[in-house]
Amino acid sequence: MYALVDAVSYYASAEKVFDPSIRNKPVVVLTNNDGCICAVCPLAKKLGIPKFQPYFQVKSFLTKHKVIIRSSNYELYADLSEKMMNVIARFCDNQYVYSIDESFLYFKNYAYIKDWHQYGHEIRKAVWRETRLPVGVGFGTTSTLAKAANHAAKKLSGYNGVAVIDDDSSRKEILSRMSLTDVWGVGPRLSKRLSILGIKTAWQLANQSPKVMKDQFSVVVERTINELNGLPCLSWDDVRQDKKEIFSTRSFGQRVTDYNGLKAAITSHGCIVARKTRKQRSLIKRLLVFASSSPHDDNYYKKSIIYEFPVATDNTLKIAEGIADVFNSIYLSGVYFYRCGVGAIEIENQQYQQQDMFNANVNNPELMQCYDHINHRYGNSTVEVAAAGQIEKWQMRRDFLSPSYTSKWRDIPKIIC
Amino acid sequence: MKVIPIFIEAGISGFESPAAEYKELGLSLDQLLISHPDATFIGEAKGQSMQGIGIFDGDILIVDRAKQASSGDVIVANFNGCFVCKILDKSKAKLLSASPVHSPVAITPEDEFQIEGVVTRSIRMHQPSNELMSCML
Repeated sequence: MYALVDAVSYYASAEKVFDPSIRNKPVVVLTNNDGCICAVCPLAKKLGIPKFQPYFQVKSFLTKHKVIIRSSNYELYADLSEKMMNVIARFCDNQYVYSIDESFLYFKNYAYIKDWHQYGHEIRKAVWRETRLPVGVGFGTTSTLAKAANHAAKKLSGYNGVAVIDDDSSRKEILSRMSLTDVWGVGPRLSKRLSILGIKTAWQLANQSPKVMKDQFSVVVERTINELNGLPCLSWDDVRQDKKEIFSTRSFGQRVTDYNGLKAAITSHGCIVARKTRKQRSLIKRLLVFASSSPHDDNYYKKSIIYEFPVATDNTLKIAEGIADVFNSIYLSGVYFYRCGVGAIEIENQQYQQQDMFNANVNNPELMQCYDHINHRYGNSTVEVAAAGQIEKWQMRRDFLSPSYTSKWRDIPKIIC
Repeated sequence: MKVIPIFIEAGISGFESPAAEYKELGLSLDQLLISHPDATFIGEAKGQSMQGIGIFDGDILIVDRAKQASSGDVIVANFNGCFVCKILDKSKAKLLSASPVHSPVAITPEDEFQIEGVVTRSIRMHQPSNELMSCML
């Protein structure tokens, strides 16, 4: 049995944990630079506020309905996520944290669990009690069905946060009430193509011939159909596969025009990518470095360059060197840069690295371990490569940021005595 | 006569301090004070109503959400949108203070009330802490 446990409107729910004054109020959370709405709590959903709407377009509507607005407080979300995942982990010895608020569980030798509904409610209760975060729990005989059950648990009427797909009737009941885009692995483009064939619901998709669909579409569709029919095709290792690309990119709070400013911003994106790469024990072979003005500008400027490392690396210093190497071809004076970023587009597994006879290994695991330890203990950018600079002009705009309740002593919640 | 103190250990070369291998075994306050790390949060006490049981303004409270609250426990609750620290009286549905000048508060059905956790420890700050002072930064 597989399960998917994830938080209900995670960012908005996390904002409510340490601020009891907004527990019963509609809350929305804005993305980087306060650009768009990225999370809407259930109370705000009832007001009809859509996700991914640019903030400035709904500003007056939000004020009118007294909706609480928050900037993304990543420090808080990361800390609460870790606690939430630890509580969930108690219920299964096989957990894979899929994203900041989702984790898959794989129950292998759990014959003693007779009532999955009840078990799901136990998980929900424990997480709510210990972290004050609401979660939905979906069980299924494949990971795709677990994802579908999770959707039902949270979005379909009649399920109170827990849904189980363990036989044909529960499978039919849930899948026929699900639209295609809600199926794991079916994107908006694919669902449009499928709808031309008259396939509108997940149940209709499940009843297609996997072979025919493979010929017409892809092996991915074939696999999805099999999974929807209870045939596990994604092994546990597929589900928990490492990321094949790692990006760090962001638009600027204020346009950047100067050489050093842009270089510092790109380098610090490089440092973030390097850190994430180390975390999943990979090495970077090819790095994409890019910067652009806004597409709404008169003279739109965009430049991206791929840098190839002679030997794949996770060394922040080597990555900063690589960026410095290509930077002169990216920067153009007079351009009002709006966005920049770095992406590791070819990644190798540290474990299976090919040694190169002609190029010395440039990795420095001891230094990087020390560097990661210091930054983990004292906060990111406590130590940083000099090229990343200390100028924070390009940092995000976060006008509605809540306090760092769990990571800064001066921000801990106040309790009235 | 001026004496320059030298640690004995420093004079001997080739021998490592026999204590070196025990270095990792420092005492951890977390281990002592927090029994459920994932269900615990830390807050700062504000106000005088709990002085009778030794919780003063500016003290640090360690709040355990995994613990079941019983009557007589010092708890933190969400009371009408505020975190409050009081003594729980379940049978009379009241929140008690530990101070002669603060009378008990009755919890009525109209009140927003949730128990957030049990205060398992409080830490007296005998001297101000730079970390806690917002004006310092």
